[in-house]
Amino acid sequence: MVRSKTPLFLLAVLLAPALVGLVVFRLYPIALAVSDSFFNMLRGNQVFVGLDNYVALFTDSAFWKSLQVTLWFNLLINPIQIALALGLALLYVQKFKGVAFYRVLFLIPIGVSLPTAVIIWRIMLSPDGLANGVLNIAGVPGQPWLTSESLALYSIIAIATWKGISYWMIFIIGGLQNISPEIYDAARVDGIKPWQRLVFITVPLLRPTLLFVLVADVSINFLLFAPIFMLTQGGPADSTNVLMYEAFKSGFIFGDMGRAMAIIVVVVVILLLIVGLQFRLLAGKPEGK
Amino acid sequence: MADPALKLRRGFTLGARHLAYAVIAFIFVLPLWWAIVSSLRPNTEVFADIFPFTVNALLPSPLSFEAYTGVFERGFGLIIANTMFVAIVTMIGGMIVNGAAGFAFAVFDFKGKKIILTLIIISFMLPFEAIALPLYTVTLQLGWLDHVAALIVPSIANGLAVFLFYQFFSQVPKDYLEAARLEGVSWFNILLRIYVPLSIPTCISAGLLLFVFQWEAFLWPLLAMPSQQFKVIQVGMAAFQQQYQTIWNQLFAVSVITALIPIALLLPLQRYYVQGLAGAGIKG
Repeated sequence: MVRSKTPLFLLAVLLAPALVGLVVFRLYPIALAVSDSFFNMLRGNQVFVGLDNYVALFTDSAFWKSLQVTLWFNLLINPIQIALALGLALLYVQKFKGVAFYRVLFLIPIGVSLPTAVIIWRIMLSPDGLANGVLNIAGVPGQPWLTSESLALYSIIAIATWKGISYWMIFIIGGLQNISPEIYDAARVDGIKPWQRLVFITVPLLRPTLLFVLVADVSINFLLFAPIFMLTQGGPADSTNVLMYEAFKSGFIFGDMGRAMAIIVVVVVILLLIVGLQFRLLAGKPEGK
Repeated sequence: MADPALKLRRGFTLGARHLAYAVIAFIFVLPLWWAIVSSLRPNTEVFADIFPFTVNALLPSPLSFEAYTGVFERGFGLIIANTMFVAIVTMIGGMIVNGAAGFAFAVFDFKGKKIILTLIIISFMLPFEAIALPLYTVTLQLGWLDHVAALIVPSIANGLAVFLFYQFFSQVPKDYLEAARLEGVSWFNILLRIYVPLSIPTCISAGLLLFVFQWEAFLWPLLAMPSQQFKVIQVGMAAFQQQYQTIWNQLFAVSVITALIPIALLLPLQRYYVQGLAGAGIKG
């Protein structure tokens, strides 16, 4: 660090806008969610009710169903997205004539924002849409992608995955470029097969990057909202009613902000638990150190 | 090299590679391609050639621009302009605010620096959606509901962007700085003359991040603009989807315009975007 005295006034000017922004618009809202969750706020009320909102939540089968949907959704989508993003990143970093063209195409879904992707996919998955048209070639009958209780959640997984994996691919590319090529050269000399190279060299060395991606991916998918709002509104039969949508419904459709905030608190707590667990499980020191 | 069998085998593996990559790229691009093609058809023809499926379904025939004229007659241009305004102001404000904070963290040592940096990292681990509902209450308290400030101001300070700048500025050799200080150059000039010019690539990657972030925002504009006086694209589009369910070619036209603007920005600058994000991933 610089030996000369830190100019405090300058430091304050430089830091204040970002810090005020992060405190007022990130940390304070979380504190507010916690405090509001102790109030009954129906019909403009503001009566302190202690843990009543939480008690009501945990004795409500709709909440449990929503929690179950959210956890199942995340259990599927995060490993799928990361495995595909890793595969795509491995393709992206290959070097051969003409690869630059594909690289550009691999990046395209990043530019398509999620709400836009949702609209395009909604029409693709409509009864007369492209998806059923392609199935038709193979003689498979059309599927009710978004209106069937058994398919809707998986359709949303497909849409979010199409949209998301290029983004995660970028982070993994960063990790891949950080692995020294000499390690691979040594492996080649030792006659190690490509799949062994992936399992025993690439993945272990990528662990910090994969951990970062997993944590960030989980936190985004845990809070996924736009596709649910735009496609299914939690239906059919609550099969896509994730916690974020349940919170939105409570607060902005039924006007019960206390319940909505209690759900948000539960969501944030679960999220922090999952993130903490991931660090515990995966952040161990890499082998040989 | 002259061995023709080897040459043939090389050619074959290259061909196989191209085929595999092309199939994957096709899957990647297909939805957007279909949207483009369908937006260039008359509404009655959008679903033609799908049952039974023919290759024509993926070609813009017959060619028509009625969807595009239609959406602009509906006032879609204003919605795009609104969104551009929000995204660009956030982007510029974000570069200044987050860049200044990143500089302060990288160059100065002060009490509580570690704690503040940790808080910043936590704040970017919790996506905007997590705080959108309580942020609604904050916005209500500030009297910003239905005001464009609610879309812009809360999005400017961004933990990830601070972190990008911090990381970059930390790599600038300290000798520069000490030499300049010895010569009596003011901090302001050091920032302006040394750090700002060096940070242009980081500014681009952080700026793209903030732009894309605003272009994607959905839940927050939905909550912050209940009266929809100031429509931004994503929410405007969702409303459009509900109101005009059957004007398929217009839905596609809206989607295509919305997708092509950030793509047009990202493609020439993708190197910076990739470097910025990839760098964050390594250190994360």
